[in-house]
Amino acid sequence: MKKIMIVEDEDAICNELSELLENNNYKAIILKDFKNALNEILSSSPNLILLDINIPYINGEILLQDLRKSSNIPVIMVTSNNSETDEALSISYGADDYITKPYNPNILLLRIGAVLKRVNNESNILTYKDLSINIGKGIIKRDDMEIILTKNEMIIFSYLLNHQNKIVTRDELMTDLWNNEEFINDNALTVNISRLRAKLKNIGYEDAIDTRKGMGYILS
Amino acid sequence: MKFSKYLRDKLYAIVLSLIALGILLLIFFAFKVDSGVIIASLFVLLTLFISLFLIDYLRKKKFYTDLLSNIEVLDKSYLVLETLVKPEFYDGELLYQALYEINKSMSENVNKITEQWHDFKNYIEMWIHEVKIPLATLILIINNHKDKFDKKVQTQLKRLEDYVDQVLYYVRSENAEKDYLIKETDLSKVIKNVGLKNMDDLLENKIDYNARNVNIKVLTDSKWLEFILGQIINNCIKYKRDIAGSYIKISVRDEKNKTTLIVEDNGIGIKESDLKQVFNKTFTGENGRGKGKSTGMGLFIAKNMCDKLGHKIEIESALNKYTRVYISFAKDKYYEVLK
Repeated sequence: MKKIMIVEDEDAICNELSELLENNNYKAIILKDFKNALNEILSSSPNLILLDINIPYINGEILLQDLRKSSNIPVIMVTSNNSETDEALSISYGADDYITKPYNPNILLLRIGAVLKRVNNESNILTYKDLSINIGKGIIKRDDMEIILTKNEMIIFSYLLNHQNKIVTRDELMTDLWNNEEFINDNALTVNISRLRAKLKNIGYEDAIDTRKGMGYILS
Repeated sequence: MKFSKYLRDKLYAIVLSLIALGILLLIFFAFKVDSGVIIASLFVLLTLFISLFLIDYLRKKKFYTDLLSNIEVLDKSYLVLETLVKPEFYDGELLYQALYEINKSMSENVNKITEQWHDFKNYIEMWIHEVKIPLATLILIINNHKDKFDKKVQTQLKRLEDYVDQVLYYVRSENAEKDYLIKETDLSKVIKNVGLKNMDDLLENKIDYNARNVNIKVLTDSKWLEFILGQIINNCIKYKRDIAGSYIKISVRDEKNKTTLIVEDNGIGIKESDLKQVFNKTFTGENGRGKGKSTGMGLFIAKNMCDKLGHKIEIESALNKYTRVYISFAKDKYYEVLK
């Protein structure tokens, strides 16, 4: 499980954020000692840091600069200061992404996923049971059988796969699609899911995607 | 400064001089002074009077002419004293001194107000950052406990967030200092972020959000542009028609000297008589009044921001057919060379 460190001085946000992360298969660690921030970060060696700019004792941007002298841990700046200057500065200090408060939690998770994927050079090939999924090419293979997914179908399938055995809401799927600049509507999402199911049926996975009424979908 | 008007102003002196001259002549005649002496004295006295007026006129002419013409030329006429040489005649000196004092007191006043506005702006910005923290917390709480909260709570929170942002950008756009950073920005990213932000509203209202071939880079501040586009999209949603197939189509026209972002909807449109005023402060028009929830600030702020960034924003519409908003970004040749 990937460890994510939250550097944020607002207790309520820390708690809710860690709940959000834990619900999404991350381990959340909250920074406690702001006087000793750098050491605490380095000793708990997280996979990613969510770093606020306005923190006690030390400014988040300075902490980032200090961190970058000794570590390449990916950092997403999280701040209520929505300005291009701050974003440009943070990126130049070595931040991997910049997101402003208040953020859409689904988008925060997508951005975390994207940064982790990028820095870990995760491959484009995923597996599901005996299926091998080539995301870039949009191809799913089972032995000699092969199905080709459209871009939308692949976005939906890989999202379900990344959240296997968890209920995925339509809202989450929609956000991921829109985040990939596929601005589809509700009907189109329904159509895409039934097409995806029909294609999976062709290679023998008829019931892979289950509908949970009023909640969403689950890939088990 | 006109000589004729100057003479009219000095009429009393001229009349007095002529009277004195007349009296002198009478005295000369009474004492039977030699006519040669009379002519010589007259000549000397006339020359003296004329030169007195002429010299006085010329001394004043330079100062007053410069004063008047510089006031006309300067776009900030209160700076006119800086452009003048301090006059050496008494009433000029008085005027100069008075203007100087007036200027000084006015600039002290302006400084005080600028400082107050600056403090106020800083306070508002700080307040906005503060208020975003509970907003962010609320959004997280609602997301973590979806079973306990209705989607309506989220919608209201989003409205709250939008209004808070409107204040932030109003303060930023009214500020004399440069509060933006122009850099190369991909339009598709801006369109995507605005879409994501309004996704729930768009889906809820069954409006198709459509953006094709928008992978083009322009020079702008992406945060500012996101706000501007957000205001336009908000209006598209607010003023949609109750028909099936509502849409927002976003496209980009790339020309030699400029790139234009076009946002088109098939909403209720804007009446021609209202069209010219949509960018005016607090203008609500028939649409805004009809729907009863318009502040008339959105497009005003958007226009203000476009002006600051150097973008041109235009709007055209046909009632009950469409509204199109165009934002043009100039291309910087120097920047092209650097690339």
